[in-house]
Amino acid sequence: MRRLLLPLTLLIAAAAGAQTTIPIDVEIGYRWLDLKGNEGMYRSQINERQGLLLRALTVTAPDFRIDASDLGVGPAGTLRVETGKADLYRFRLGFRRADAFSNVPSFAQHTFDRKREMLDLDLEVFPGRKITPFVGYSINRYSGPGTTTYHVAQDEFLLLSSLKDRDRELRAGAAFNTGRVYGVVTQGWRHFSSDESLTLAPGAGAGNNVDPVLGRPITAAGITRDSHTDGDTPFTNLYVTGEVTPRIRLIGNYVRFSADSSGDEAETATGSFASFEIGRFFNGLTESVASEAKNKTTRGGARAEFALADSVDLFAGYQSEHRELSGTALINSLFLQSITFGGADPRDFAAVLSAASSLERDQDTVNAGLSVRALGPFSFRAELRTENVTADVRPDLAEIVVPGSQGGIFERRIDTVDLNASYTRNKLTLGAAWRHDDSDAPIFRTDFLARDRYRLRAQWKSPKDFIRAGVVAEQTDQSNDHQDSGFTARFRQYTGDVEVAPIEMLHLRASYSRYQTASDISFRRPQNFTIGDSLHQERGKSIEGGFAVFVKQTTLDASVIRFDNTGTLPFKIDRYRARATVDIKAHAGIAAEYSKDKYRETLFPVANFEASRYGLYLRWRP
Amino acid sequence: MLGTLVLLLLGLNAQSVATPPQATQAAAEPAAIPACGDCHEQAKTFAANPHGRGVWARPPSGATALPGAAAPTQIPNAACETCHGDGTAHIEAGGDKEKIFKPVGKDGADGCLACHELGSDRISRHAGVHANSATVNCLTCHSIHAFEPREPHLLAKSQLALCSSCHSTQVSSFRNKPFAHRVGRGGMNCSSCHEPHGRPARESLRSTSAGELTCLNCHTDKRGPFVFQHGAGAVGDCLTCHEAHGSSNPKRLKRANVWQLCSECHSPLSAETLGSQPPSFHNLSNPRYLECTKCHVAIHGSNRSPQLFK
Repeated sequence: MRRLLLPLTLLIAAAAGAQTTIPIDVEIGYRWLDLKGNEGMYRSQINERQGLLLRALTVTAPDFRIDASDLGVGPAGTLRVETGKADLYRFRLGFRRADAFSNVPSFAQHTFDRKREMLDLDLEVFPGRKITPFVGYSINRYSGPGTTTYHVAQDEFLLLSSLKDRDRELRAGAAFNTGRVYGVVTQGWRHFSSDESLTLAPGAGAGNNVDPVLGRPITAAGITRDSHTDGDTPFTNLYVTGEVTPRIRLIGNYVRFSADSSGDEAETATGSFASFEIGRFFNGLTESVASEAKNKTTRGGARAEFALADSVDLFAGYQSEHRELSGTALINSLFLQSITFGGADPRDFAAVLSAASSLERDQDTVNAGLSVRALGPFSFRAELRTENVTADVRPDLAEIVVPGSQGGIFERRIDTVDLNASYTRNKLTLGAAWRHDDSDAPIFRTDFLARDRYRLRAQWKSPKDFIRAGVVAEQTDQSNDHQDSGFTARFRQYTGDVEVAPIEMLHLRASYSRYQTASDISFRRPQNFTIGDSLHQERGKSIEGGFAVFVKQTTLDASVIRFDNTGTLPFKIDRYRARATVDIKAHAGIAAEYSKDKYRETLFPVANFEASRYGLYLRWRP
Repeated sequence: MLGTLVLLLLGLNAQSVATPPQATQAAAEPAAIPACGDCHEQAKTFAANPHGRGVWARPPSGATALPGAAAPTQIPNAACETCHGDGTAHIEAGGDKEKIFKPVGKDGADGCLACHELGSDRISRHAGVHANSATVNCLTCHSIHAFEPREPHLLAKSQLALCSSCHSTQVSSFRNKPFAHRVGRGGMNCSSCHEPHGRPARESLRSTSAGELTCLNCHTDKRGPFVFQHGAGAVGDCLTCHEAHGSSNPKRLKRANVWQLCSECHSPLSAETLGSQPPSFHNLSNPRYLECTKCHVAIHGSNRSPQLFK
């Protein structure tokens, strides 16, 4: 952040001092946080923290533009710089940072408080009109602490994690444009490296299961695991668009990448443990793992667009993808001071496991359709599509605990009909869409055999746009009546919103939304193999109201949202937002913001929180 | 170093702004014809508009050198006429609105495509769901003159507001649901994942430069390859388990309870689907077995454990 704030500050100062015509709009200030209740849940959902914040920045000039928002205490911010000279070059910089936080009470015990930073640099040069060489470089960093669990016998021990991932990508290529043929070819190289260190959390040596296993308490005195992974991925990406005649356009694409990763892992554990796999108690473990994995993917396709008449296009395409995944791991384990569950055969016990897995997946898609983009006020679009997927999954047979469904060859075909129609006249827009998917077999139990998606939309604007009203209704039904599943699911959502601007200085808005989710699928309880139903339901409704007032140098924008969800995980959310701006002078003013979120769960009130944020920002437009 | 690079590039350009090109006065408008800017304020500020910049740098057809005088705030009539057509009749009629073309709707957007026609493997202006039509066209989202100053690409409003006008149910899930990507709140926008000018394909999703699913642009740690892949991701994709937009459930999962999400696939009543049966000690009446990822921690893939334990 400091690395970016410095050039930004220098730039603003330089631009303002230079008395050029560069328009600058900057908003910078401080945000305060007043939090009551569960901080982990607040940060998992919202995570707006207290501190300095560059709320917004825009610098525009004939030859460059800078945009930034929400840089500082986060949780997510962006910076974008674009500059160039016509007929010479164009340079783009994009930076994003985001906090990734998860600490949800009783939710599978994984937590993390990490940060992701992404930087993209792209330079295009224009030596002529026909060829445009370019080069790009991207960095993606993800790092920070977290917690996870170490599983042994029937105990879990809390581990502290420190993760540092780095992903770098260099790409270069050229776009070419001969007037009738346009295309881009890119060759890239990506390198990924990851380091993670795990240690037993202080005080976690007793584990979560206080009951002894076969008469022996399971405890940990120390656990460490260090892993390092490297991955290299060269890739090639090509597409070409050609205008065969003024009416016929052909588009071809080809992508290939080959990802190779190798990993090293070293683990030590001391304490009192049991392993059901080797049928022994043991007092320590040293383990090393060397692994390699590959992913080779090739995809290519072509499509044609044929203009039958003005605004009437026929299109057809074919796309094919082949993916091969494979991996091997050599695991050396030395169980220290081990004895059998009966107390016999005391010794250090070594085990070497060579594991391997592979998977191949093919997908072919054929589609064809008609696009009528303007038939008076009407437009239509119809598409037929067939998708064939074949997956050949080969698991490591030595590792299978309960045989069945770990691997095999799975084939699935999906036929799709996709229809869209709309009508636009005199500021009234009506739209309807229907998509039907029909499949012959599932790969996963939750895959549909039949799915219908409906969408209706209406929007109306009054003359001079002082009223705008819209409604959208969507429904998705999917089912799989295969004897293995008995799966049905329905998703429904309605939204209606209206905006009214009775006078120029006042805007009013309101919206109402309802949604329902209901799914039902049979499943087998592992403990007794009886068949049950897995039911998931959500019934939510939200009401939102707000207004904006513009009076001379002052604006006020405020809204309230109430969201009420019943079903499997019932909760209520109230959100309040207000923002006021006052221009004290022609080029300077202040902005004040207030946000409040109140989250309440019915079943787990420990998750509840109430968070108010107050922001005060200086606005400057020299 | 990065800061220095940015400053250097911007500094070079700022210099050019402060020092306008030498006035050539060549090929300027004939003095007898009034300039569009005499009546239209928009014409006076058009030099800062991306389309104005192009005109400034590349003389319109017929001009032999940089048009205008000393400052880049004057735009020749020819620049306006690129989109509005010949304005002579309009000027001679004293500004009769009927005698000038106003680009609106699909016909107006056809003018945009005169320059912005290029399609690609991901973009289609003819066959995609947002192809230039009577209902959705360039001018539905972009505005040449009345654009939102803080948005790139001459967008008429913030991206979320634009998408919301048709896709309000998706936007509502971002705004209302507790676990959602931070779309429109500093981190992401709809176009981070979707190509708005998309071709006929699955929800017009973007991809990584290597052609992988758009999620892996940010979540690089989930990309692998791993020795032991979770079939849900390797055969399916991220959306087998996760909601892409807003979710009522932690980690944007499709189910509120982890055991339900996992059990629904890992219950092979026959051997015709992918997803193994958990051993019988996974007693779901015992709370410790309701949160599967407490032990199966490497749920996205592992280089060590086929059961995804570590």
